[in-house]
Parts: sequence; C-alpha cells; structure tokens
Amino acid sequence: MSQNRLLAILLSVLAVLVLVVGGLSAVLLLSGGGDDGGDASASSGGGGTTTESGGGGGSDVAAAASGRIRLASSDPITLDPHLAGDATSAEYIVEIFGGLMTLDKDLNVIPDIADSVEISDDGLVYTFTINPDAAFHDGRAVTAEDVAYSLKRAASRELSSPTALAYLGDIVGVREYFFGLADDVPGIQVVDDRTIQLTIDSPKPYFLAKLTYPTAFVVDREQVESNRNWTRRPNGTGPYKLTEWRLGERIVLEANENYHLGAPALKEAVYLLAGGSALTRWENDELDVAPISVNDVERARDPGSDLGPFYSTWPQFSISYLAFNLEQPPFDDVHVRRAMGMAIDRERIANVTFSGMFQNATGILMPGMPGYVPEDLSLPFDPEAARAELAQSKYADDMPVIQITEVGAGAEASIDMQAFIEQWREHLGLTVEVRQTDFASFLSAQDRRELQAFSAGWIMDYPDPEDILDIKFHSESSLNDTGYSNPEVDSLLEQARVEQNPDRRLGLYQDVERLLLDEASWLPLYFGVNHVVVKDNVKGWFEPPMVIPRLRYVTVER
Amino acid sequence: MGAYVIRRLAWLPFVLLIVSFITFALARFGPGDPVAIAAGQIRDPEVLAQVREQRGLDGSIIEQYGRWLRDAVQGDFGESFIQQGYSVSELIFPRMWVSAQLGFLALVIIFVVGIPLGLLSAKLAGTWADPAIIGSLLFLQAIPVLVLIPPLLWLFALQFNLLPVGGWDGLFDIWWIAGVIAIPIPDPHLYLPLTAFTLPGFVGVARLVRISALEVNTLDYVRTARAKGLSETAVQWRHVFPNSLLPLITVFGLALSGIIEGALFVETLLGIPGIGRFLFEAVTSRDYDVIMATTVIFATAFILANLVAELMYGLVDPRVRLGASRN
Repeated sequence: MSQNRLLAILLSVLAVLVLVVGGLSAVLLLSGGGDDGGDASASSGGGGTTTESGGGGGSDVAAAASGRIRLASSDPITLDPHLAGDATSAEYIVEIFGGLMTLDKDLNVIPDIADSVEISDDGLVYTFTINPDAAFHDGRAVTAEDVAYSLKRAASRELSSPTALAYLGDIVGVREYFFGLADDVPGIQVVDDRTIQLTIDSPKPYFLAKLTYPTAFVVDREQVESNRNWTRRPNGTGPYKLTEWRLGERIVLEANENYHLGAPALKEAVYLLAGGSALTRWENDELDVAPISVNDVERARDPGSDLGPFYSTWPQFSISYLAFNLEQPPFDDVHVRRAMGMAIDRERIANVTFSGMFQNATGILMPGMPGYVPEDLSLPFDPEAARAELAQSKYADDMPVIQITEVGAGAEASIDMQAFIEQWREHLGLTVEVRQTDFASFLSAQDRRELQAFSAGWIMDYPDPEDILDIKFHSESSLNDTGYSNPEVDSLLEQARVEQNPDRRLGLYQDVERLLLDEASWLPLYFGVNHVVVKDNVKGWFEPPMVIPRLRYVTVER
Repeated sequence: MGAYVIRRLAWLPFVLLIVSFITFALARFGPGDPVAIAAGQIRDPEVLAQVREQRGLDGSIIEQYGRWLRDAVQGDFGESFIQQGYSVSELIFPRMWVSAQLGFLALVIIFVVGIPLGLLSAKLAGTWADPAIIGSLLFLQAIPVLVLIPPLLWLFALQFNLLPVGGWDGLFDIWWIAGVIAIPIPDPHLYLPLTAFTLPGFVGVARLVRISALEVNTLDYVRTARAKGLSETAVQWRHVFPNSLLPLITVFGLALSGIIEGALFVETLLGIPGIGRFLFEAVTSRDYDVIMATTVIFATAFILANLVAELMYGLVDPRVRLGASRN
C-alpha cells in the first residue's frame, strides 16, 4: 500500500521536473540564438550565416561546390601577418596576404607583388618594380607606398613584433627603428609609385627568401588604421579572401578571382576548427584531407586497408633534436656528448617505436634543403666506439647527474626517451633522468639556458641553411640554444652569409654541418614527415615541406 | 534581510580584489609567459623584452596589477595573447553560455535523481535495500571526477562506440516526425559530461534527503498528522516531503559550487568549449588576461551561489534570520 503511494510521489516529482526541463528547452530552442549546435538552428532555418553562404542562388552553389575543399585546422593565434610567428597562423596568412616575393611549389623564390627585382652589383640595394596587376581584395592597386608602409609597420616599436628583427633586421635602419632609436628607416625608400628600394647591411643571398615570410607581407593601411578589428576580415592581396571566421567553428576562404598570378582553380576552402578525430570525420566524409596520427599509421600504410589507397607521406623541413647545454657539466666535454650520440639506435626507434612516423635524421639539413648531402652525416650507432669515447672523458670516473628535460604532463617519459635511457644504461652504464614540464615553463627555462639537456625541435622558416645553421649555432646568435661556440664555425658561417657564389656558399654550410655533427652539441633525432589521407576527387594535393601558399595548385572534382 | 544582502554584496568587491591580486601574483611569478609562447620559435631575448614592455608586462607587480585593475573596473578585461585581436570579454561570453547550459541541466538532474532516490531509500529503511543503496551511493560519491571520466570514455566511447569521445554540439538534436513535429532529444555529446557532473551531486542529495526524511518521519507533527487520520499519501506529501527537503536548500549552493568547480575537469577532459576548459587552456598558455577574467568570474559565481543558498534558507525556514545577530 504505502509503497504504491511512494511510487506515485516519485512519479509525480519526476513528471513535474520533466515538464520544467521540457518547457525550458522549448524556450531555449524558440529563442533561436539559444542553441549553439548548428544542427537545430540550421534545420529550422534560423542559422543566419549558414543560410547566407549556402543559399545565395542555386547555380552559384553548384559552381562553388565543384571547387570546394574541407580541411581540419584550428583557430590562428592571429591573422596579422606582422605579428604571426606560428605555423597555424602562417598557413592562413600566406593564402590571404602576399609580399614582394613568394615561394612556388618547388620552393623557388619568385616575385609576387613585385614583378621584377634588380640587385646592385655590391649586393646591397634591391630595387623592386611592383606588378601593375597586384591589387588588394577590394580592388585597390598595390603601390610602393603600401609596401613601404607595411614594412615599416612590421618593424615599428609600436607594434613590437616578435618576428620583425629576424626577417627585416637586415634592412639598414630597421634595428634602430624597432628599438625606438630612429624615426624612420633609411633602408626603405619609395622611388616612385611602382618602385621601391631596399638597402641591406651586407650582401646576403638569403635576403629575398626572408621576404617570403609573413612579416614582410603587405597590409592595407586604410583598413589597419581605421578598424581595430581588421584581422577578422583582412583586406589582403593573396590568392584567397577570408569570407567567414567563426571562432572555434570554421574559417572560409574564397578564391580571389582577380589574383595577379592567376585566378585559383579551387574556389573555396573550408577549415573546420572543431570536432573530434580528423580521421573519423574523414571516414565520415566530413573532410577531404586528414592527418594520420601515430596510432593509425600502420593501418594507413597497409595498401590493402580502407585507408591505403588514399594515403601518402610528405617529408617536412623540420627536425627534432636533443640539445646539450655546453655550459653545464658533463656536456662541456665533447666525449660525453659523442658517446651519448653513438649509444642510441635512432634508426630503429624511428622505424619501430614510431612505426616510421618520422624519418631518422641523417644530419641537420633535411632532404630537399639546399646544401643537403644524401649520405648519413650523423654519429653512427656504435656501442663499442661510444664506450671508448666515454672512457676518454674527464668525467669517466665521476659522472655528474644527467637530467634531460622535455615537454610533457609528467606521467612518464616519451616513448623514444625511454628507449634512449635504456640504451644509455645498457651501452654506457649511464643513469639519465627525465624531467617533464609544461610548455610555458619549458620555454622560459630553455631561453634562460637553465636546462642541462633538453629535447626540442626546429621548423625552417625559409629554405636556406642560414635559417638553421647560422641562427642556431653562431656563437653570437640570440637563438643559439646550447651555448655552442666555435671560432672556426663562426668564421665559416660569416663567410657563407656574404658568399655570392651559390655552390661555394652551400659548400661552406656543408663544412659547418659536418663540424657541428662531429662536436655533437645537438643530437639530431628525426626529420618531420606529414602523413595524410586525401579523398579521390581532390587533385594535386601536396604537403609542402614548409608553409607556402598552396591552395591555388589544388582542384576538387565533384 | 535587504540590509543583509546589501552588506554581503558590499563585501564582494573586496573578496574579488583579494582573489584577483593573488591570482595575478601567482600567474606573474610563475615560470613562462604568453609573449614567449605567441612568439613561436624565434625568441630573441632583447626583442621579447621590448614586446613585454609594449604589452604592459614590465614594471613591478603592483604597477602591473594597478593597470589591470584600472582597466577591469572600466569593464576592459584586456586582450587575449593566444587569440589576438579579440577582447577577453568577446571570447569568454560564448564559452560561459556553453557552461551555463550544461551546468543548469546538471543542477536539474542532481535534484531530479537525488530526491526520489533519497526518499526511496528512506522508505526502505530497515530492509536490506537501504544499506545496499546507500553503500553503492557512497562508493560512487567517493570516485573523483578525474578518475571517473577515463573509464566512462573507454567503456561507452571506445568499447561500445555508443557515445562521441568528446566535443559539444548544443543541447538538443531535433527529430522530425513526418517533417512536421519536432521532438528535441538530448545531444549525444551531453551524456558523459552530465554523468560526470551529476554523480557526486545527486548522491549527496540522495543521502541528505534520506536522513532528513527518516528524521521527519519520527517527528511529533507527523505522528499527530497520522493520529488525525490523514491518509499516508497526505502525510507524505504535505508534511514529510516539504520538511525533509529543507536541508536541500543549503545543498543547492554547494551543488552549484561543485558544478562550477567540476567544469574545469569535465570540460577539459571531454573537449567541451566552456569556460572551465578555457581557463585550463589559458593557464597552459599563460594567457594572463584570460586567466584573470575567468578567475574573477568563477569567484563571483561561487560567492553568489553561496549567497543565494543562504537567502533561500532564510526564506524557507523562518527560524533562520539572516544578519539578526547584529541587531
């Protein structure tokens, strides 16, 4: 009896609450903006933006759909080319903006906004003629004044861009301007509407390559100065225009039909910024291209699998390495560094532990880079030689504690690091500790050179050996992260900076690379490789080894 | 009571001042900074020093805090370092909305499930079922959210493939019947976060309701009501039920705080773009202004939740006279 009553009570309580919840949800739904999920609002026709871009006339939709690609990505840190320093931001920026020079598919430096460049005999003065067809997305032609304004904005103290000096610092007067010591940049001169002259401090053959980086891109002065939020719909000069950016949801790029290097075949690129596993979404036909992670790489590589026919790999201009702090024992002793380098079997780790996700690093310069030598320059895996090397060390009998720092959550060392530790123990009898810290703390400790040894990486910003050999190893470079200092290397690097003969110049870098590997302040571990699956109807897709404008080379058939 | 509320609210700015200063100091003194992270791989110390100066990250901590406070008081919570070109407020509000929807649903479920469970358990007191229910509830309550989520994910998302691994797609999907009748059904992304959010909460509620109902059942007025000849239903509905719910009012405030707190873990682990996850990401990237704004919002929410709980208690129980001791 009483149990029946209780049941009645319970049921009525439930009923009341269900009604309340139901009612509230109805209110939420009816109020339209209430629901964040696109599903409900789109199907009820309430999602304003979705309808706008999708329903602008039947024929239009068909045309757009025939050249539309769907990619997975994330929000850029910034779309201001002068401030961006990360690869994600750069990938959007190179499609939307442009500068005097750009990189083609094969990474040759080619004119973009400039249509010709003349270099003075002493290699100091660069005279650019502006392409008469180069225009902003709103149709206004690009003038020399626009270029000068943009370069000066990028170099200004007011903007204080972290990348300004690295890319523009060779121009006479930029350094002083950046630190607020001068009011103008004498090295940037507008000759006339279509001519601009840049003067650099010494004849550097890689200067043009630096100008392909976003820091040197052209922005629309009028837009930048009148609209604080201009990066949300930037008026660039690139092959694509940004037509939609919903934070955390999607970014849509549309072809710039008037692009001065030719209207792109691919009409639209949709970057989906949210959602779960990219591969799952690719299999679900929500994406046209998806990266393959280490967990799926075995399956993708099997030609008989459902992924096999769509799978491809693309070497990248990036390297992972172990760095030794040469100012701290025992790494002030070259024998310890060399011994540790020869005691690890990197090839096996790259192929077995990482299932071939990466390529074993055979040196510092990646395959495809100017100056790359197609032979293994790195220290060979040779436990016996490693032991002999260690025996020569002044620390042979009294080894200080060795601690390697890596970025991580602190649960356990990364799988390759565990393998290294095991091999150092086995072959050298060394005990190596691993410490993990979060990314922000890691950067701060790395920059202060507090770490005894650490694992890090480098991504090429322009395809010139100077971008890694000089800026990571010259004793006076602010980005030298090991304290490495060798007068012979410094002198070779300085010669290479100004050597005008390309072959001789690359030869100098090859000498430097051999010296560096021999002294093992870095132990190069792997070169990066991108693994992707691409749908059949996407033609001409490629993963360039570094960030370049690529969408205009791709077509999608539907 | 009005005076009490005003007095309590008058304290709010002081509490926020203390909370914000401590957060500010912890963030600035901790290692790492957003400038280095946003700079990418090119980090020239000389250049970064100037960038910090331009972004107002130089000077003593008091100066910096003063600048932050001056702007914050005027409603300017600064700009994100990691999502440049967007003000912190612009970034926070969409995420707060996601968290609010989820939190509200969780709150409802806590009481919807907790109350009947508690009453049922009380009703079964003296049988084997009561300790069984309470025992399993205690077991469930003892599992921290952090420990709970991975096995749930493994079981429902990976093994059985029933639920998505994470993410957010709004509260409801619509089922159309014959293209005319729309039936809102909860989105599948909701089940795991709601389970994680509500498990400790409804267990707490159930236990409280059980104790309270058992106690009320033995009270004189219940005996009197039965003696008058009232039906058992009437006794339960009119006397036991409302009176045993009284202590729940205090739990309401606690449950709300629990949900706010849980948001940090649940949203982060399940990839829900709410304010908890936003705070976590801001902390990892040292996005100072976002950390500050989020902490202030969390602190305000805590304080208000507790104030609401106190006020409701006063409304329901006339014996509680808020602030009376001062008069």
